[in-house]
Amino acid sequence: MADSLNNLLSKYPQNDEGSLIPVLQQTQGLYGYISKEAIEKISSYLRVSRSTIFGVTSFYSQFRFNPPGRNSIKICLGTACHVQGGDFLLNALQLEIGIEPGQTTEDKRFDLTRVACLGCCALAPVMMVNNDIHSRMSVIKIREVLKKYE
Amino acid sequence: MTEVIEKKKIKKISITIDGKSMMVSEGITILEAARKAGIYIPTLCYLDNLPHYGGCRLCMVEIKNSKGYQTACTTPVCQGMEIITKTADLQILRRDILELILSEHTFTCLICKDKNDCSEYMHSTRKVGVTTGCNFCTRNGDCELQDLVEYLELKDVRFPIAYRGLEPVKDNPFYELDYNLCVLCGRCVRICNEERNSGVLAFVQRGNATLVGTAFLESQKDAGCEYCGACVDVCPTGSIAEKMGSWVGCPDNSTITTCVLCPVGCKMNVNSKGNRIINVGPEPGKRTAPLQLCVRGKFVPGDIVHHPDRINKPLLKKENRWVEIAWDDAIRYIARNLEKYKGSQFGMIGSAQDSIENNYILQKFTRKVMKSNNVDLLFSYPGKNLLKKIHEYYNAFPPIGLNKIESADTIFVIGSQAYSSHPIVENRIRKAYKNGKQVVVAHTHNNRTADFSNLFVNFNPGKEYSFLSMLMAYISVVLKKRLPDSVRELLENSNQRKLERIGGFRMEEIEQFARTLVKSRKINIIVGEWILRSPESENSFNLLINISRLLGGLENNRVLFLLDEGNRYGGTLVGIHPDYFAGFARVHNRVDHNKWAGLWNTKLPHQKGLSANEMIKNISNDGIRALFVMGDMPPHKNLADLEFMVQQNMFLSQTSDYANIVLPLCSFTETEGHIIDVERSLKKFTPVIKPPGLARPAWATMQEIAEGMRQDGFGYKRANMILSEIKSVIDLSFSTAEFESKRLMSVNRTEHRKSNKFPVQVIIEPNHFHYMGNLLSALIPDMKAIREESVLFVSEKLLRDLTARDGEKVRLITTFGKKVFKVKIMSGLNGKAAYIKPTWDDLPLFSDGLSPERCVVNAKIEDVD
Repeated sequence: MADSLNNLLSKYPQNDEGSLIPVLQQTQGLYGYISKEAIEKISSYLRVSRSTIFGVTSFYSQFRFNPPGRNSIKICLGTACHVQGGDFLLNALQLEIGIEPGQTTEDKRFDLTRVACLGCCALAPVMMVNNDIHSRMSVIKIREVLKKYE
Repeated sequence: MTEVIEKKKIKKISITIDGKSMMVSEGITILEAARKAGIYIPTLCYLDNLPHYGGCRLCMVEIKNSKGYQTACTTPVCQGMEIITKTADLQILRRDILELILSEHTFTCLICKDKNDCSEYMHSTRKVGVTTGCNFCTRNGDCELQDLVEYLELKDVRFPIAYRGLEPVKDNPFYELDYNLCVLCGRCVRICNEERNSGVLAFVQRGNATLVGTAFLESQKDAGCEYCGACVDVCPTGSIAEKMGSWVGCPDNSTITTCVLCPVGCKMNVNSKGNRIINVGPEPGKRTAPLQLCVRGKFVPGDIVHHPDRINKPLLKKENRWVEIAWDDAIRYIARNLEKYKGSQFGMIGSAQDSIENNYILQKFTRKVMKSNNVDLLFSYPGKNLLKKIHEYYNAFPPIGLNKIESADTIFVIGSQAYSSHPIVENRIRKAYKNGKQVVVAHTHNNRTADFSNLFVNFNPGKEYSFLSMLMAYISVVLKKRLPDSVRELLENSNQRKLERIGGFRMEEIEQFARTLVKSRKINIIVGEWILRSPESENSFNLLINISRLLGGLENNRVLFLLDEGNRYGGTLVGIHPDYFAGFARVHNRVDHNKWAGLWNTKLPHQKGLSANEMIKNISNDGIRALFVMGDMPPHKNLADLEFMVQQNMFLSQTSDYANIVLPLCSFTETEGHIIDVERSLKKFTPVIKPPGLARPAWATMQEIAEGMRQDGFGYKRANMILSEIKSVIDLSFSTAEFESKRLMSVNRTEHRKSNKFPVQVIIEPNHFHYMGNLLSALIPDMKAIREESVLFVSEKLLRDLTARDGEKVRLITTFGKKVFKVKIMSGLNGKAAYIKPTWDDLPLFSDGLSPERCVVNAKIEDVD
């Protein structure tokens, strides 16, 4: 792991605060998430404090701090989905798989993200697993949908 | 010179604020102009001396012929600007902003119709103190939100309350964090990153979840907090609140004085109420420009002065128990006993954190009354003449002021851990680095200063001679100059590989280092204790002066010696040294000897004096038999063999167990005096509160003892009479003198040697976290929590050879003994090096005297069976 991150960093100038966001994006591209160790390494390479890096990373929703699960679930809470009860869907799903948005289940089967819009408001409320859109979802349908993903 | 300055003189322009026209300098902001004119504009995020931020929007003002409203803290003034700071519209706007802020913040103490009468109803029928009323916050009365509510006449908050209900952090050392009171003004984040460059605090998360926090919301200690307390000082609310003095209310007195814990001698403001210190920090209402301090200056004074174990009466040991006695009886007892130990059987150990007045009297007493030259400061440098050499160098080339560290284009830091020993100097180094100056660092291991450097070279502990002479060799090579003899000899007698192995560096690194230095036009060299605290320090001094001379001359490049402890230079200068009278006049020089004998109207001793370390080693029947200790010191086992020992200290310590009598002592906040700081200027500290009980400063005690022994010449009424006496004999304004050597100074080839039997090099951090010998970690639990003393830090490589793992116990063996320590992995240590911050109890493992000879000891680490 360390080597590939070192490779990645060597493409950027040392001690350059300005490279922080592209470095973080590429790191996430590499590992799927931003780990504590990665932040440490980036911090000493770019000489940006770990707290500042964490501040930037936690500001943008594109970054995550947990390794992604085998399947990633996105729950839409955009206007249409919200009106159609996206909140209930999210709550039920949280109870079902026992994690909150941004986390990954212990068996690494699922990770959960909340998103603002998936671009198919007519099908609200929408839940997306990997690349599959599950439209007109309801709390009752959750278990059935999840069964399809191991 | 003056002409140039006048040409650069900033243009004055005329503006009008609230109908008042005025001339101001071009380039300043509206807020600065208004403040100068005494016009109040409300602010929350603004901090003096930091880059403009414009976060809170409370300082918005109306500018004529300009659209909308502008923030006064970020808008520069221009010619003819007409500014209005208070209109009905502006007040509504600001009130709205404040209301939004307060919707997340408890405001019962801010907005309440009974607010002003509340204190009257705060009485309790119980006999114990009970806080009643809506008093949620330790900053009540010193809260900027309260001021803003007052100014904006806010009567109610219309928005729904969005109280966050966060758990307050109570287990943080020195201060508590309650982010429910935080208004996200960002002052703490900015001061931590922009002023202190500590990089601990940042805004984390986003939107209404935003918090001031650390990486992964770990503890501040894990995030690398240095506990400088700058965030505490600037916080406008109670969300970062000092534990010391909380709930006490507003101070009724604020005194500016000088910190004596290290020779930076920072100016500090001490807030007190009655005869108690509340805290060290800005006075109420002046939080936007606090004085910068470090953990010692900020958090230590109050804690030690009001420590529950403080003694305030003389204590006499009778049948192994301490008995309180009257002051006069104590003086009589001491005078009667000291009468028996005149001559070289008497020793005096003073403190480098005591004033020059006190130290002058200590040596005068020892030499004039006790007829002994055994007088020294605790932890004096192993190189006995080092301070004299520095004194002579400074006479010719005065030390650079801390503000001028940045004036050079390269800052060369060697053997220093200023972030712990002299944090404000470190602060200047970091600022220089951030402002684009070159910082090059050489040290025995990779440390925090290296994070703010362009170049770092590691040399093995104790191998400063190898490093400096190789550096000098390469500088000569780059400059195409003839190699100095000592260096040529070194190069001829050993091959490169061997030198690299011994020194712990690679030749390419040294070459790069040399090239960097040669390219610089002006270099400031900062020398730390890893160089000064060694028997070869005078050698290193010569090498550094030679390097400075080679690189463009002594006038051009300046060396700043980071002497340790508040007044080590000042104390030695006024004569508390076995070999020198005040002004570094030699005790064994006939002229100087006669001069001082004449001045004091007495006969002075001729025997050679002993240093503090030698005194302790020489305690015996025909050596030292009586000892006077000012302050505390490590409890050395030899003290048991003393016939008579007097200690004057603030506390009873392990050392007091050996004393016959202990007198109570004043702290630096209870008496007046002067120190000479790292810039070599005289700084005054003033009494903030009255001393407890019978506690007295050293000079008053010595004077009474001298009178008890029927000696004259000690009739001082106040400390400044002593200062006048010092000033009459030595020059404290430091007129310049020629520096002796015009050519390169000679250097001996001596340094610390490794041993096969003890292959591990233990780097010893000189422990400056004490006040007059009283170890702070033993007195203040929070200090113990942050210091990690008595833990053996090792490199990962070293731990691989052992079965013990990180956090377990190992045995450390040196020639002096063995002891079991908790072991911890530390990055930055190379090869067979370990690192320790010793407490007084650990010192016998590294030395048979009071303190280790140098900052490294050969040792062996083995598993505990």
